[in-house]
Amino acid sequence: MALVQQIQLQRDPGARSQIARRVTGSPALQLVGRRLLTAIPVLLGVTFLTFVVMNLIPGNPAQLILGINASPQAIAKLDAQLGLDHPFWDRYWIWLDGLLHGNLGIAYSNQQSVNSIIAQYLPTTCWLLLYALVGALVLGIIVAVLAARRPNGIFDRISLAVSMIGLSFAPYALALCVGWLFAVKLGWFHIIDNSLGNNPITAIKNLTLPAVSIGFGLFSVYSRLLRADIIEQMEREDYIVTAKAKGVAPWRVLVVHATKNSLFTLITLVALNLGTLIGAVAIIEPIFSLPGIGAELINAININDLPLIEGIVVVFALVTVAGNLIADLLYTVLDPRIRYGRSAS
Amino acid sequence: MSPTIHAEGALLEVEDLRVAFAVGGREVRAVDGISYAVEPGRTLAIIGESGSGKTVGCRAIMGLLPTGTQVSGSARLRGTELIGLSDAQLRKHRGSDMAMVFQDPARSLNPTMKVGKQITEAIQTHRKVGKTEAREQAIELLRLVRIPAPERRFHEYPHQLSGGMRQRVVIAIALACQPKLLIADEATTALDVTTQAQIMELLLELQHDMDMALIFISHDLGLAASYADEVVVMYAGKIVEQAPAKQLFGAGGTVKMRYTRALLDAIPHLERPAHTELPVVTGRPPDPTSLPVGCSFAPRCPSAADDCTAKAPVLTEHAPGHRWACWHPCENGGAA
Amino acid sequence: MAAQLPDMTTTVLPPQPSLPSLVSSRRLRSQKIARALRLWVPAGILIALLFICFVWPYIYTIPPGDTGSILDSSLPPFSPGHWLGTDANGVDIFAMLVYGGQVSFEIALAVTAIGIVVGGVLGLTAGYFGSWADSFLSRIFDVLIAFPALVLVLAVAEVLGPSEMHLIWALTAFSIPAQARVFRGATMVVRQSPFIAAARLSGTGNWKIIFRHVLPNVIPGIITFSLLGIGIIVILEGAVDFLGLGIQIPQPSWGAMIAKGQNVLTATPQYVLIPSIVLLIFVMALNLLGDALRERWGVR
Repeated sequence: MALVQQIQLQRDPGARSQIARRVTGSPALQLVGRRLLTAIPVLLGVTFLTFVVMNLIPGNPAQLILGINASPQAIAKLDAQLGLDHPFWDRYWIWLDGLLHGNLGIAYSNQQSVNSIIAQYLPTTCWLLLYALVGALVLGIIVAVLAARRPNGIFDRISLAVSMIGLSFAPYALALCVGWLFAVKLGWFHIIDNSLGNNPITAIKNLTLPAVSIGFGLFSVYSRLLRADIIEQMEREDYIVTAKAKGVAPWRVLVVHATKNSLFTLITLVALNLGTLIGAVAIIEPIFSLPGIGAELINAININDLPLIEGIVVVFALVTVAGNLIADLLYTVLDPRIRYGRSAS
Repeated sequence: MSPTIHAEGALLEVEDLRVAFAVGGREVRAVDGISYAVEPGRTLAIIGESGSGKTVGCRAIMGLLPTGTQVSGSARLRGTELIGLSDAQLRKHRGSDMAMVFQDPARSLNPTMKVGKQITEAIQTHRKVGKTEAREQAIELLRLVRIPAPERRFHEYPHQLSGGMRQRVVIAIALACQPKLLIADEATTALDVTTQAQIMELLLELQHDMDMALIFISHDLGLAASYADEVVVMYAGKIVEQAPAKQLFGAGGTVKMRYTRALLDAIPHLERPAHTELPVVTGRPPDPTSLPVGCSFAPRCPSAADDCTAKAPVLTEHAPGHRWACWHPCENGGAA
Repeated sequence: MAAQLPDMTTTVLPPQPSLPSLVSSRRLRSQKIARALRLWVPAGILIALLFICFVWPYIYTIPPGDTGSILDSSLPPFSPGHWLGTDANGVDIFAMLVYGGQVSFEIALAVTAIGIVVGGVLGLTAGYFGSWADSFLSRIFDVLIAFPALVLVLAVAEVLGPSEMHLIWALTAFSIPAQARVFRGATMVVRQSPFIAAARLSGTGNWKIIFRHVLPNVIPGIITFSLLGIGIIVILEGAVDFLGLGIQIPQPSWGAMIAKGQNVLTATPQYVLIPSIVLLIFVMALNLLGDALRERWGVR
């Protein structure tokens, strides 16, 4: 699969070769340290790019806030207040400094701190993403294993067809179609006025359709990749033949031997897809009127609230980078070849 | 009428085994009617080039061929017919009565499963034993295959062991349930020469201690000469020569089949005068999808005559215990 | 001492009849047909869609996609003269699909082309020369990839202002790093090949090697990835239109159609369903074609 190879290549090819070195400290720690180091320029780059792009907007923000009829003195005053009269690099440094201290600035629109706005809307988004991700993973693994049991069998073909649809369905279109089917036609859910409410049941009910809209695509990607990987293990790997030669039952060979080893690829894929996962909320939340960060981002864009946009975008990007990092670390911890290094005797 | 090969007390009797599968629209006859028998405590060597069908034949007996392969003929393990059994039934024998050791230990072991677990899995698949007892048996097995510090090795992963040790682990797994038949498929090919000798010695010792029948598959005639009781030479899916090792290789050895002769001659000897050209077998093994009419070896045989290409020679026992399939076999001795 | 074989002086094993033939020609033929169908059905669908969007309007006049008469507003499908119906302003739905499709295809093609050219050069450089060029370029790609695609595109579109051209630039912010990564990955694989080493040893210049040896081997992977990529771009572009930040009304676009249909989902679901299904078919055809080509060319 092209995807698997791309994943394996995108993992830093140099890192693995470092492992063979016998230095003080476990090789796993070495890899962790190296990864953290390479992440730093990326994080810096992310903040820089966000700042640059946001500040390219033509027109003076102060003017945008005050309106066309504002007097030059009022604009100048607001400029100074917002710190817009400083040169570019100063502004970047001030912002970055604030960022490093956890302060994302003040929103133009309502003068609230960006931090507090994000904090307010973050929980909903987190629950939504968790729901979508867990659902997609669990279903994806189950379907992949069942499909790999009998490649090209009926279940396999059906699962491939379904996942092909999932891969091709635009999330916003899916959201509306699913919304129409289940909320309008069948009346099982609502698609307006959704908040998490106070009890978990309402929360689950309100989050299901949005989670499905995001999760269906994810499920499709996961199940396809895992299925392909498992089948490849079963057909090409010698240790599978050894297991069969031992007399181990086919299900056990499939699950304990092949699937376990394929899960590594899946973890990497989940991490790489984190960006898509997070980005999807920007469009799904407004559709279902969920009070989450994605909806806030769209609002902010519509009213040109720069600090808020900046803040949210940076948080998105940083979380994606952090997610990739964590997945790399997980890989290190789980793969015994990396954890224990080589110790030939 | 096909006569049955009935050896008294034979552990494994293979009779007219045929294996065929389809590749890209053509039929490949990987194994084209082979028959042999092995007794308990005896060692049979199956020798041949790659593609001769030696591995496929044994995998057919174990039932390890991919789906879509057609197998016919008979393979009886202690009287139980194996060909035609369902996978579930065959599984009862795999790993318990008969076991197999493979070529590349680096790839034959699950890289993410501890070595000990892979052995206990073999034990617990066939026997109802608890975890602790299985663990103890596994450690005993590790000791049996001469791995030092077995209690520690039990908890290690395959990549933490050297190549030779990994192969010992694979052997330990194979021996977990005391099989009566052990098949070693190029078990030493991937190892260096010193380790090779160690592993072969180990296999033979274990065979002797456990009274197992051992089939080892190889392309190395030298191994066969040193370790086997009986030798079967295969070419293009058929057996071309079959005899006790002493008869073939001993002093006054009587290799009859041209192919075997050529294989022997290709082994460098110290006694040959320096700078003598090494007589290698010219040509390549035949394309399995289009075998020639007549003797399969004829295109490469230096003594091929017209009757060789016209009609395939039949494996016949021309001398007691010694069969070959050749219209113009070598005269006695005939070293190059 | 000999293994016990039957006590006969001549054991003749007569040749046995061979096994029933494994290769049934009927089965083979049906496999070949299935393989051809997997390629040509999606290709056919794509060609049909392209034909409808680009050729059909010139053969047969269709109503305009941006204006309509109030008298014709909200007609249901299968109405005379408007086989898919009209929207609240009387604009013909089919026309909107056709013109929206034109725009989407054009944008997707332009973005993909830019991505391949720019991303290709960057990716080939990074993959072939390795060391610090690779590290440097890879960090840049990492930074861009760190932003969720939609967020990145939205941000750029927001900054530049809504318009078709700006939308193209915004989408290239996603496409260039994506293509660069694919080029880089494929180049690194090809670079290990012995024939590359041979070319270098014979003194061939680096860029000559890249264009004559590396590139042809990288192309199949690029094509299959690009097919997938076009689908992603169309979906992204639709998302931006959906949010009102891309192609502005009255210019038709599939995303905007779906967005407008939201409000009347209960009463008249077809305004959402029709463009959604068309979008689905288009992307599915692209994905299926990509899979079939991957199968045929052995790209892994």
